[in-house]
Amino acid sequence: MNDTTVNDTICPRCDAENVRVLTTSPVPGRWTMYVCDTCIYSWRSTEPRSATDPLAYPAEFKIDPADIPSIPAIPTVPPRRR
Amino acid sequence: MAYADLREFLATLDRDGQLLRYSDPVNPEPDLAAAARATANLTDRGPALLFDDINGYEPGKGRVALNTVGSWPNHALMLGLDKNTTVKDQFFEFAGRWDAFPGPIERRDDAPWQEVTLTEGIDLFQLLPLFRLNSYDVGCYIDKAAVISRDPDDPDNFGKQNVGIYRIQVKDKDRLGIQPLAAHDIGLHLQRAEERGENLPVAIALGNEPVITTVAGMPLAYDQSEYEMAAAIQGAPYRITKAPVTGFDVPWGSEVVIEGEIIAGEREIEGPFGEFTGHYSGARRQPVIKIHRVMHRRNPIFEHLYLGMPWTEMDYTLALNTSVLLYRQLKAEFPEVAAVNAMYTQGLLGIISVKQRFGGFAKAVGMRAMTVPHGLAYCKVIILVDEDVDPFNLAQVMWALSVHYHPLHDTVTIPNLSVLALDPSSDPAGITHKVVLDATTPVAPEERGHYSQVVGNPEGTADWENIIKGLLK
Ligand SMILES: [Zn+2]
Repeated sequence: MNDTTVNDTICPRCDAENVRVLTTSPVPGRWTMYVCDTCIYSWRSTEPRSATDPLAYPAEFKIDPADIPSIPAIPTVPPRRR
Repeated sequence: MAYADLREFLATLDRDGQLLRYSDPVNPEPDLAAAARATANLTDRGPALLFDDINGYEPGKGRVALNTVGSWPNHALMLGLDKNTTVKDQFFEFAGRWDAFPGPIERRDDAPWQEVTLTEGIDLFQLLPLFRLNSYDVGCYIDKAAVISRDPDDPDNFGKQNVGIYRIQVKDKDRLGIQPLAAHDIGLHLQRAEERGENLPVAIALGNEPVITTVAGMPLAYDQSEYEMAAAIQGAPYRITKAPVTGFDVPWGSEVVIEGEIIAGEREIEGPFGEFTGHYSGARRQPVIKIHRVMHRRNPIFEHLYLGMPWTEMDYTLALNTSVLLYRQLKAEFPEVAAVNAMYTQGLLGIISVKQRFGGFAKAVGMRAMTVPHGLAYCKVIILVDEDVDPFNLAQVMWALSVHYHPLHDTVTIPNLSVLALDPSSDPAGITHKVVLDATTPVAPEERGHYSQVVGNPEGTADWENIIKGLLK
């Protein structure tokens, strides 16, 4: 159960090169968690390739970073009281 | 019967053969979610699962409890009943205890979660074995924690203090995403805070005895206290303790208490997340919580809930509070309503048993279910059966549908009503036709069909049910 994942640079979901280490296992060397600061997808190095590899991540769950700002806000931010 | 905390409930499950301890090593993904899914697939009488050797955590330190209320025996034990209590009997017991609302509160200063306090270097992943539930969830979630907030315009009002369960994405070591829908009480709290230009303080209590978790999923009125309802349902005072920073009341027995605040005006991408409809919800921009303080017991148990295609633990925890709520609202106007089973996808489909006063009566009751508050988002399919048909016994319901329901006379379709947007059939999202299927026996002036020669039980059947039940014990 060693850390063998190669992809730690490209987000599997949005393909942004905006990935950093989120945290590592309390018992050292078991796994590393990464997070994409563009789409906030996170994954663990021990997960199957479909969760960690941009090429194996299923197309229907992919997201284009350009679309993120236009995603609806729920709930919307109300106007300030005067 | 009241459980002081999660550990006391797990000990009871263990004594009753309803807890499975699994001490072989497992991976966070996909083992933990798969084990919970498998248990729900196999049986509706399954155990809670307790894992204590999770890859990356010291054996015995990182512990995960799953499926704690994920079966009818475990649900009965939550209510302090014999584990073999039928669903119908659990329903009437639940309905009866609701009448005791509001129950008493017991305030204590000495909570077990005060053992360890973290204010710097907070990393939830070090403290709890967080893990992905479904393959294409955007990350790790917390989905069974009690989230406590107060009305910023009326912060001292105990009744308006809300205890609810919302899906929470763990976005970073000390940063969370939360889904407080506008219709939820916390959504109202957030709206008022943002109108004032203030952050909304929240306390998040993880790992609780099961009653507060069940009550937190109840759609109570805005000024009704979940703690006073928990006291009514458990039949004993509910024990709470003040969290130090927010001053909010949290369960005395929690494993972990997090304090932080929802940042005013901020929305950030959240989701997808595998939902209780059996489908993923898409991504939305949603509020964000910054964590300021974490308090916990030493070696806390991470209690988590698997959800996805029904049935899962979520369906058990919401089954009776949804059914009893609809039952109480309908019964207030129509005393002829005998029981309500609205436990299918949180009441998207419901079954109502009712004694018809006159022809067409059952159809009116069915349409009324669609216009009570819960019905505005649910009750897409309502099946009516006679008062002597047990709505919790699907064999009986299917019998009634197969022989009492006439497609031409007994179908009422109402176009373009509101439904929760998560219903994947709604089009546009949030709008759907709804249907009443009337499987009651026609009564005057509606005289049709051939129902005069019913095959009843042989004489003495009820006595023999008791004899055989006793012999089977
Ligand atoms: Zn990304």
